Amino acid sequence: MKIIETYNLTKIYSSLRRKSSVHALSELNLSVEEGTIFGLLGPNGAGKTTLIKILLSITYPTSGSAKILNEELSNYLVKSKIGYLPENHKYPPYLKGGEVLEFFGKLSGITGVSLKKKIDELLEMVKLTKWKKAKVKNYSKGMMQRLGLAQALINDPELIFLDEPTDGVDPIGRKEIRDILLDLKSRSKTIFLNSHLLSEVELITDRVGILNKGKLLREGAVKELTEKGEEYKITVEGGSLDEITKEFISTIVITNTGNNIYSVKVSNMDDLNKLLDLLRKNGIIIREMVKQKQSLEDMFISLIKESEKGNA
Amino acid sequence: MKNILIMMWFTLREALARKVFIFFIVISSLVILGMLLILTSKSTTVIIQTFGKSGQAIGYTQVIHALELIIVSPLSGLCILLAIFASSSFVPIMLEKGNIDLLLSKPVSRIQLLLGKYFGGVLVVFLNIIFLIIGVWLLISIKFSFWDFSFLWIIVIVTFTFAVLYSLIVLFGVMTQSSIFGMMIAYFIFIILSPLLVLIKDKFIVFLQNGFLKDIIIGLYYIVPQTAELMGETVSNLTVGKGIIDFQPILTSSAFLIITLALSVYLFVKKDF
Repeated sequence: MKIIETYNLTKIYSSLRRKSSVHALSELNLSVEEGTIFGLLGPNGAGKTTLIKILLSITYPTSGSAKILNEELSNYLVKSKIGYLPENHKYPPYLKGGEVLEFFGKLSGITGVSLKKKIDELLEMVKLTKWKKAKVKNYSKGMMQRLGLAQALINDPELIFLDEPTDGVDPIGRKEIRDILLDLKSRSKTIFLNSHLLSEVELITDRVGILNKGKLLREGAVKELTEKGEEYKITVEGGSLDEITKEFISTIVITNTGNNIYSVKVSNMDDLNKLLDLLRKNGIIIREMVKQKQSLEDMFISLIKESEKGNA
Repeated sequence: MKNILIMMWFTLREALARKVFIFFIVISSLVILGMLLILTSKSTTVIIQTFGKSGQAIGYTQVIHALELIIVSPLSGLCILLAIFASSSFVPIMLEKGNIDLLLSKPVSRIQLLLGKYFGGVLVVFLNIIFLIIGVWLLISIKFSFWDFSFLWIIVIVTFTFAVLYSLIVLFGVMTQSSIFGMMIAYFIFIILSPLLVLIKDKFIVFLQNGFLKDIIIGLYYIVPQTAELMGETVSNLTVGKGIIDFQPILTSSAFLIITLALSVYLFVKKDF
């Protein structure tokens, strides 16, 4: 089931003073499946936060429409099933950690014993139990993020929006947040994640979308997006590929990367098998053969550069 | 309704945390203590009893009413001035980036959020005024065994006057996300414009030759919240036990409050954050 769907979603910010307008989102069509972790990537100003804000009716679209949990955005009651951790969130500084959760829990419709139980459970989960009675003005950035995550989960949401959840969190804290997200996924929660930390996104997301200047450049499973076609790294012993593969030159691209390691790009599996047969025939031992992938970061950077060139 | 009450409760918490509430209570307590000292002094008792016994020109009741008026009028005005200052930042703080995003992500309508904040602000001032007026009333009533319950209507009038001005502060808060404009305009109306319009209408309008100018002044008199009338004539009449004689300032100010609040809600509902 699709839990988020957008149809030609467009947001234009107009400035009367400057007589100019900024296209934060341009005819965005996107869908997110239930029970998945979806990562939205993009450089600063790409429109990632605007998209979340529109989906939560914090900002309104200029045109287009969207559905969330199969409901129109205008139905604010659907937010009882949604959790949100905004970027640079602020809590009233006079409240204590537990009171912040109490306030947002009450606004989410939870009261009484179940709220108290949930508060203790979540503070335990984000390791802030000892800080329950400390005022949030004394919290560090990392602690604020962890409290923010607890706040986003106070209503046991089906869909969770996280905007830069690991911002300001140390590596151990990040790992803990990743584990929490994976645990939520195992409980069939859907997570929509905005992050700059591509290596982290790569570790936990099922699908990613890449946004630049309000346009969705690419969307798909992380595995699909990071595969480099039929490219292999082959480590050999007892000979060189340089001489014996000349006859394949038109169909196979081989690059010697040193230390008997070769990068091999083939156009089809037949060519690859022919190459392997040839190596064996020439007494060359194949020590290792690995299908090549590019990191999400590499793919992201090249995609954004391509897009910038296209726009220029 | 539940969400409005939650917002009101947390606005009260905000006021408490920002020492607004405590500041009010301290000022009111000082006033009440001061009164206690004055009223228990022998000279005050003698003066009032003398007036009371003379019984012809000025009666005992009138003296007590006059005493109430002397105390309540400036205090109510001071109360409003402090309340405007203290409450002007409630809405702008709620609209700060990072704060409003969280509130709007909850299953609460924008109307409930803003009304909760509005009524929360009014509640803070209402509780303070209750403390002050009931304190003064109890002192006078106990001291002189004179229980004038209509005096307590002042609580309603002063709170209402504040509610009218606060609706304007909320409107400017929503429009500008700043507390300064709303606060300045509320002060301008309360201290300058409303008293000036009353003065012109009552004393100088007969001297005006230009009919158009007359119409503008009369129009402004009815459009601008009549805080001078409310805090002046209405409070005075209530203090001296006459009750509310003229309902027009209440009605026109109510209309202003409703329109201003409705406009604030409309702008807040339409606003992008």
